[in-house]
Amino acid sequence: MPATLSILIGLAVLASALCAALAGWFWYRAERYRGEVERHWDALCRLEPRNLNSDNTASELPPLSTRNPWRGTAERLRDTLLERTRQVQEMEHAQAALEIRCRRATTEYEKIKAMLEGLAEPILVIDDYGEIVLANRSAENLFHFRTDALESRLLAQVVECRKLVQLVTGTARRATATNRAEEVELSDDEGNTRWYRVTATKLSPPQRDDGVAGPGARGTIAVLRDIGEQKTLQKRNAEFVSAVSHEMKTPLAGIKAYVELLADGDAEDEETREEFLGVISSQADRLQRLVENMLNLARIEAGVVKVAKEPQSLNELLEQALHVVQPAAEAKQIELASDLSPMYLGVLVDRDMLLQAAINLLSNAVKYTRESGRVTLRSRLDDNEARFEVEDTGVGLSEEDCRRVFDKFYRVGAQKNMASGTGLGLPLAKHIVEDVHGGHLRVRSILGQGSTFSVTLPCVGQMT
Amino acid sequence: MTKRILLCDDEIHILRAAEFKLKRAGHAVRTAADGEEAWALLKEELPEILITDYQMPRLDGLGLVERVRSDPATAVLPILMLTAKGFELNHDELARQWNVTAVMAKPFSPRELLQAVERLLEEPACAGGESHGMRE
Repeated sequence: MPATLSILIGLAVLASALCAALAGWFWYRAERYRGEVERHWDALCRLEPRNLNSDNTASELPPLSTRNPWRGTAERLRDTLLERTRQVQEMEHAQAALEIRCRRATTEYEKIKAMLEGLAEPILVIDDYGEIVLANRSAENLFHFRTDALESRLLAQVVECRKLVQLVTGTARRATATNRAEEVELSDDEGNTRWYRVTATKLSPPQRDDGVAGPGARGTIAVLRDIGEQKTLQKRNAEFVSAVSHEMKTPLAGIKAYVELLADGDAEDEETREEFLGVISSQADRLQRLVENMLNLARIEAGVVKVAKEPQSLNELLEQALHVVQPAAEAKQIELASDLSPMYLGVLVDRDMLLQAAINLLSNAVKYTRESGRVTLRSRLDDNEARFEVEDTGVGLSEEDCRRVFDKFYRVGAQKNMASGTGLGLPLAKHIVEDVHGGHLRVRSILGQGSTFSVTLPCVGQMT
Repeated sequence: MTKRILLCDDEIHILRAAEFKLKRAGHAVRTAADGEEAWALLKEELPEILITDYQMPRLDGLGLVERVRSDPATAVLPILMLTAKGFELNHDELARQWNVTAVMAKPFSPRELLQAVERLLEEPACAGGESHGMRE
C-alpha cells in the first residue's frame, strides 16, 4: 500500500506539476497574444489619420501571430477603421472640391453682377412666371425698386409700362428660345420721357441627350437701350427735311405761279411781263442759294470742299454782303447800318465762302429783327486780328439758345414761326469761319434786346 | 360777280401772284403780310372769303383761323388755307377742328386757286368741316 500510495502521490505531484506547467504555458500564450493585440492597437491608434490606408498600414503595424485568437477580430476592426477612414477622406475631398466650385461660382456671380452693375443699360432677368430674379442698379433706379433675395417681385408690380411688361412676359411664355424687341417710351418722376429699345431674350437651357432640359441658364433677359439721342436725331432730321422742303417749296411756288400767269397770257403789258420774269429769276436765285447752302455744308463737313484762299479786303467783302441783304432789310423797314473800319483789313480767305458766311449772319439778323429795327455791321482791327460784328435789335437768344444756336438743324423754338429757315445758316457760317479759316465765331445776346455775332480772322498785310 | 377776298401770306411774291389772278377775274382783293394784319383788315372789310398761308410771323395761319372762328361775325367765313407744309398738316383735322373749308398745297396754280375760290363762293354759306378736293 505504501508503494501504491507513493505512486499515487507521485502521480498527483506530477499531475499538479503538469497542470501548473500547462497553466503557465496558457498564461504565457494569453499574455503574448494580449500583448500583440495591445501593441497592434496602440500602433494603429498612433497612426496619423492621413496615413491610414490599406497600402502602408500593414507594414507599419506589428504583426499578429497566426495562432493569436484575436487576430481575426483585430483585423476586422482594423479593416473597418480603414474603410471608415477612407470614406471620411473621400468625403473631405468631395467637400474641398465642392468648396472650390462654390468659390468659383461665387466669384463668377460677383463678376457677372459687377459687369451688369457696370452697364449703363438697365437689365432685368425674369423667370418663367414673370418674377424678377436679377436686376442691375440701372434697372433698379429706372423703375424705383430694390431686388430683395427674400422677397421676389413680379415684373408687372415694378414696371408700369404695359407694353414693356407684355413684351417681356410674352417672350418668357414662349416655349422656345427667341428674342423680340420694341421701342417704348418711359417717363420719370418729373414727367420727362425717354425712349428705350427693349430687347427681350428667352434663354434656352442646354438640352441633354435624352431631350430633357438640363441645368443651365434659364429665364428671360430684358435689356433696355436708351435711344433718346437717336430719336432726337431722327426728329431733328425730320424737322430739317420739313424745313428744307418748305424752304424749297416757297420759291418753287413763286416760279410755278408766275410761269402759269405768263403762259395763260394774264400779263398783258410788257411791264407786267418784265415784273413776272424778274420774280421768277429772283426765286430761282433763292432756290439756288438754298441748295448751295446745303451742299456747301455737306461738303465742308465731309472735308471735300476745295478752298481757294487769296488776300482780300474784308471791308469790300462785307459791303458786298450788305448789298445782298439790303432788299430783305428794306422789305421789313429795318435800318441796315454800316460801320466799317477806315483801315484796310487784309484777310487771307476764300472769297465766296466768307461772303456766304457774312450773308448768312446778316440775313439771320434781318430775319429775327422786327419791323423798324436796326442791324449794324461793324469791322475793326483788333489786336492784330480782323474782326467783324453783326449786331441786331432783334428778339435775342436765351443762354441755352446761345449754346446751341450753331448746332446743325437747331432752330430756336420760340422764334420758329417768326421766319422760315433750315437751321443751316449759322452752322455753315461757323464751319466757314472756324474750320476753313481758323477764325472764331461767337455770339452774345440778351433775350428780348438783341444779339451780336462776332467773327475774328487772322489779319495779313494791313494798310491804312 | 365781284367778290371781296382777303389774301394773307408773308411771301410777297406769292401774295402778288394770287392777287393778280383774282383781281384779273374781277374780284376785290385786299392783302395782308401776317395774321395780325389780316385780322385787323377782316374786322374792317368783312370779306366773303379768307385765303391764308399757314406759317407766318406774329400770328400764324392757325392762330388767325382760331380768332376768325371764335368771333360770331366771322364764324362761318369760308377759309382756304394755302400751305407748303404738305403731309405735316392733317387736312381732316384742319377741317374738323378748325372748320377750314379747303386746303391747297404750295406750289399752287393761280388758275386752280381762282377756280377753287369761285366754287367755294358759289356754295351756300360755309357748312363747316367740309373738305374740297384740293388736298395734296
